[in-house]
Amino acid sequence: MKKAIALTLAAGLSVSLLAGCGSSQNSSGSQTGESGSTLPAYNELTVGEDYTDLKAEIKVITNRTDLEGDGTLAGYVAAFQEMYPNITITNETITDYANDMTTRLTNPDWGDVCMIPTTIPLPELSDYFYPLCDLSAIEDEYNFADNRAYDGKVYGIPSICNAQGVVYNKAVFEEAGITELPTTPTEFLDALQKIKDNTDAIPLYTNYAAGWTMTAWDAYIGGSTGDPNWMNVTMPQTHDAFAPGVPTGDSESGPYAVFNVLYQAVKLGLTEDDPTTTDWEGSKTMMNNGEIGTMVLGSWAVVQMQQAGPNADDIGYMPFPISVDGVQYASAGSDYCYGVNINSSDDEKIASMLYIKWLSESSNFSYDQGGIPVLKSQEYPETLAAFDGIELVADAPAPTELADLASNVQQDAELTLNADETHGKRVVEAAINGDETLDDIVADWNAAWNDAVDRNAPQ
Amino acid sequence: MSKSTAAAKPRKTFGQWLKSMRGQQIVCTIVFLVLPLLLLFTFTYLPFFKMVQFSFFDMRYIGRRTFVGLENYIDVFTRDDCFQALLLSLYYMAGSVVQMALALLFATILSFKVKGDKFFRGALYFPCLICGISVGFIFKFFFTHGFVLDTLLSWVGFNVEALPYWLRDESINNIVLVACSIWKYIGTNIVMFIGAIASVDSTLYEAADIDGANAWHRFKDIILPSIRTIVVLNLIISVSGALSAFEMPYVVTGGGFGTSTYFVIMDKLAHTDQKVGLASAMAVVLLLLIMIVTYAQKAVERWMDKRDSRTPKALVQTDPNTAATASSASPAKVN
Repeated sequence: MKKAIALTLAAGLSVSLLAGCGSSQNSSGSQTGESGSTLPAYNELTVGEDYTDLKAEIKVITNRTDLEGDGTLAGYVAAFQEMYPNITITNETITDYANDMTTRLTNPDWGDVCMIPTTIPLPELSDYFYPLCDLSAIEDEYNFADNRAYDGKVYGIPSICNAQGVVYNKAVFEEAGITELPTTPTEFLDALQKIKDNTDAIPLYTNYAAGWTMTAWDAYIGGSTGDPNWMNVTMPQTHDAFAPGVPTGDSESGPYAVFNVLYQAVKLGLTEDDPTTTDWEGSKTMMNNGEIGTMVLGSWAVVQMQQAGPNADDIGYMPFPISVDGVQYASAGSDYCYGVNINSSDDEKIASMLYIKWLSESSNFSYDQGGIPVLKSQEYPETLAAFDGIELVADAPAPTELADLASNVQQDAELTLNADETHGKRVVEAAINGDETLDDIVADWNAAWNDAVDRNAPQ
Repeated sequence: MSKSTAAAKPRKTFGQWLKSMRGQQIVCTIVFLVLPLLLLFTFTYLPFFKMVQFSFFDMRYIGRRTFVGLENYIDVFTRDDCFQALLLSLYYMAGSVVQMALALLFATILSFKVKGDKFFRGALYFPCLICGISVGFIFKFFFTHGFVLDTLLSWVGFNVEALPYWLRDESINNIVLVACSIWKYIGTNIVMFIGAIASVDSTLYEAADIDGANAWHRFKDIILPSIRTIVVLNLIISVSGALSAFEMPYVVTGGGFGTSTYFVIMDKLAHTDQKVGLASAMAVVLLLLIMIVTYAQKAVERWMDKRDSRTPKALVQTDPNTAATASSASPAKVN
């Protein structure tokens, strides 16, 4: 009798499971099948005129928890719904965005619009996201339109574009007697030393404990070489990419110089005493109040620092202090891009595209957040004034056949730039403990990197 | 028993059988079991089998996979960081011994009439109810240089300047994290021990009192032998917990400054570097390790049982005590 029960149970379980799998596969299959080429392309839509009576419900997933908390996202939805009253938009925001969203994408039913996680290799974008339009149709109007494009199709529209520099407190710089913004690592470390000597402020706050903030250092690698092809094309084919003087021949620039700034700053005691207990939310207020001199973060951070206290005017933004042959470059590029679920229904896709187009073209989102404009015709925010005369280097996408080379090499070497926080943290730890020099660390990185370069070398 | 019912059955139709006592019993059993088993299967066994399957592939969470056979397992054993991280588990294992001892102490004290015992039981159990993530954040502020702990210590005369950076100093930060873990998880042990101690026959204590046993004798010769099964169970849970320590290092230090446990490394490989196959292989290896450790513990326990039964104690023990030892030892053997 026990056997009978066990058998019945097993049968029941497997039947219900199979049924579950089957139904979900069917529905997603049929939806994908139907989505043909009948939809208008992204660039053909005119927001406010087309499809104003469209009825749809869409779910938008983003990483901006701060904007959901203060009602900003709801405000955008309300403004959009004045034109499209029948489109209902639900916002969801995720803190640990890149990880969570990657996992969620494995289910076709995740929602309609999301910020495309960079973990998805470019050639696989088409498995998850709807091709919005041809790259050639929008690349003259949009900055960084090629960020999430593959084979001439655009899968993601930049939500906001960032310049990579250093947030600093102007009042602290003045008090410390720094009159000119530093343009080389040596000048920068001198400036930090002056802050330490002449003020009570922490010269450079690492935000080590928050973790993801340490990935900001990776963002300077592109700018530190002055070569747009470095990140996606050259670096994944270069041995010893982290060694001093690679690729510029000058140890004051290139990836090594970026991490050397961090290493030296920590070693010389120019950072906070105890990195393990830094507090990200608190650091915004400290920056605003002049208790912190500098923080290395993308330009998106400027607005948050300004809003964290009464001294918005004190917050400034300067390019990362690395010059190549006397010219200062700054990495610039798109932050996350909006993508549309390939499994959404036609109406939901159109509604999603309308909303994205409105957000990027008419909502002033990028300007309000202190970013480089999404449209080439839009104006730069004041916070980026210090970038006048600085060469912006946008990491150029690799040619189609090498599209996933950079991410493959980085993940293989376990040095996932802009996502992995542990390599940046290791530099801080080594500088504090004194048990490894930067050269030791770099030797490790290079060994892993060289292996990965060889394994993934394009045939 | 099933044979006799089977013999009587052929004459009944299915409907009749369904209405019979036996049929109802079976229907009830199935109905009540389906839901928990379904949940167990979907959320424990299915993910587990998937994980074992993943461990043979070179794959990301999304995208194409390639079968690589045992390569991931070879990687786990040849990488430096994986097994070095297991050394950190020694801290947590030592911690779990301390945790057991403390829990036994508190449970014994709270099992007898103490002023405010209800309050202390609640207070000691409370940390278990707080979400691990918030516990981590609480401790991060607690240990910040010049904050809560340092202030408290300065009140009792420590010089704040001379105090170490609790989470940064690699000679103590793992001990600090273990202490946090103990604080968080000790409540469960205490509750289980109190429950077990409550089942000890109170006449034994009276008899022991008459024979002049003090509190230590009572604990050593009555309580401990009576609840040995539950102590061993808790020890096994703690040790496997020590091998898979994750919450505290992940939240409090983010795995920095030499606190990266096996699990933290696994999380980084799986999520940041998208080496899902390798991380799955690590998980399978850890599972095997935990199983080995558990069996080893069981074997030691059985060996101790055998030794105990061969050499009956002829000490100061009174008759009721030895009776208690013998009667409680036998259920332990069944395990």
